[in-house]
Formats: sequence, C-alpha cells, structure tokens
Amino acid sequence: MEEFVINEKLIKNATILYLNGFLDAHTSNILEKKFEDLLAEKKHRIVVNFARLSYISSAGLGVFMAYIENMRNNEGDIKLTNMSEKIFNIFDMLGFPILFEIYKEETEAVDKFN
Amino acid sequence: MKNNNQILISSSTKNLHIVRDFIEQKAKEINLESKIVNQIIVSVDEACTNIIKHTYKYDESNTIEVEYKSDIEKFIVIIRYKGKSFDPSKKHNPNMKQYFAKYKVGGLGIPLIKKSMDKIEYSHIKPDLNALTLIKVI
Repeated sequence: MEEFVINEKLIKNATILYLNGFLDAHTSNILEKKFEDLLAEKKHRIVVNFARLSYISSAGLGVFMAYIENMRNNEGDIKLTNMSEKIFNIFDMLGFPILFEIYKEETEAVDKFN
Repeated sequence: MKNNNQILISSSTKNLHIVRDFIEQKAKEINLESKIVNQIIVSVDEACTNIIKHTYKYDESNTIEVEYKSDIEKFIVIIRYKGKSFDPSKKHNPNMKQYFAKYKVGGLGIPLIKKSMDKIEYSHIKPDLNALTLIKVI
C-alpha cells in the first residue's frame, strides 16, 4: 500500500501537484524529491492541490518552507489550494497563511500565475 | 501490546501511522469531536517523530511506548522512551514572523504540540527512562 503519492499535471504555465494520502516524517522525503526534480526541470510555478491529502504533520510543512524561497527567487511560487478544514487548521495554527498564498480552488491559483 | 490502552512501536517513522491509528481509535471510543481528535493525533505524531529523530537518531532497535489514560475531563497520552532527557515544555515557541521572514525550516513540531494540547509534562522516571505526558481538556 502506498501511503503517499503525488500526481503531476501541467495547466497553462503552472505545474499542479496532487497530493494523496498521508504526509508525515516518513513520507515527506517523497515530496522533497519531487521539489528537487521540479527545480532541476526549471519548473518554478507550482500549485499544490490538497484535496486528497488526509493528513499532514510539521514534516510536511517543512518541505514547503524549504522550497518556497527558491521558487520565488526564480519568478515562481508555491501556491496551495483545495485544503480540507483539517489540513488548513495545521497550516493556520502556525501562521503559514502569512507566507503562503492559499486558495479554495485550483483554478484561482493557476490564474494568479497568468 | 500490554493491554488495550497501550502500544509499543519500534523507533521508525514507518510506525507513526500505527500510533495515529491507535490514538484515533481511543478518541472515537469516547466520541470526541473531530477537531480535537486531529489536534491530539498530530501532537502525539510530533512527539514520537522528535523521539525517533533526535533521541534515538533513527536507530530502530529502540522502542517507544504510547499509553492512553482515560479521564472524565481529560484525554491523556503518556509517551515513554529511553535515552537522554529533554523537556520540550521548556522550549520557547519561535516568533513566526521572524521564522517566515528568514525562511527557516524545521523546529515546528513542539510549537504544534503546544498549540494543540492544553498541557505538556515531562518527567525523568529513571536514569534511562523518560515520560512525556500530553494532556487535552475535553
């Protein structure tokens, strides 16, 4: 059984990452590897769709912190969308909406890149 | 497993989901509302993650015991582990504005526990045994 899977799609000039499953200290390296690949491919405009993510801990939050500066320095960003209340609460508790743009719908985030 | 209110895992992040499932099951048995359940689950996950990473340094030969204690007013979780002592309740929460301005990474596990739980107690039981008690008023 896969605990955490990422699907990727290109919409307009943004790369959408669809997170599925559980993002914790055991699986966060999968997301880290994905961001490394995106940097190597010079993809810096990233939208992360959380609709199918069931769980996140601080290990997951750490991955977004580790890459957002690099993406922004390359005229990109990491925009977050489609969070359930449960996932949003974790981001919100630590004040992540100060740094990250969080949208209800994926299309809103994609449009912001255009 | 010693009894229904206790589990023992080897010190690996691959076992975090076992701890989360255990806490979820206990919380559901007493019909806690989902927001509170999620706060307790993430706190116990963060505490175990810190022990696996920092105390045991990913050495899977070590173990962590997680015990649920029932109480009318509180949901109590006791996490017992060996190794060097460290009292997370003494650690100050970072200033998040500065944290974000400097694009810092890591160190958010304990702040998340402190924001989610009502009380954290640390005790050094024996020279080589620690107990971290996480308490949520329900």
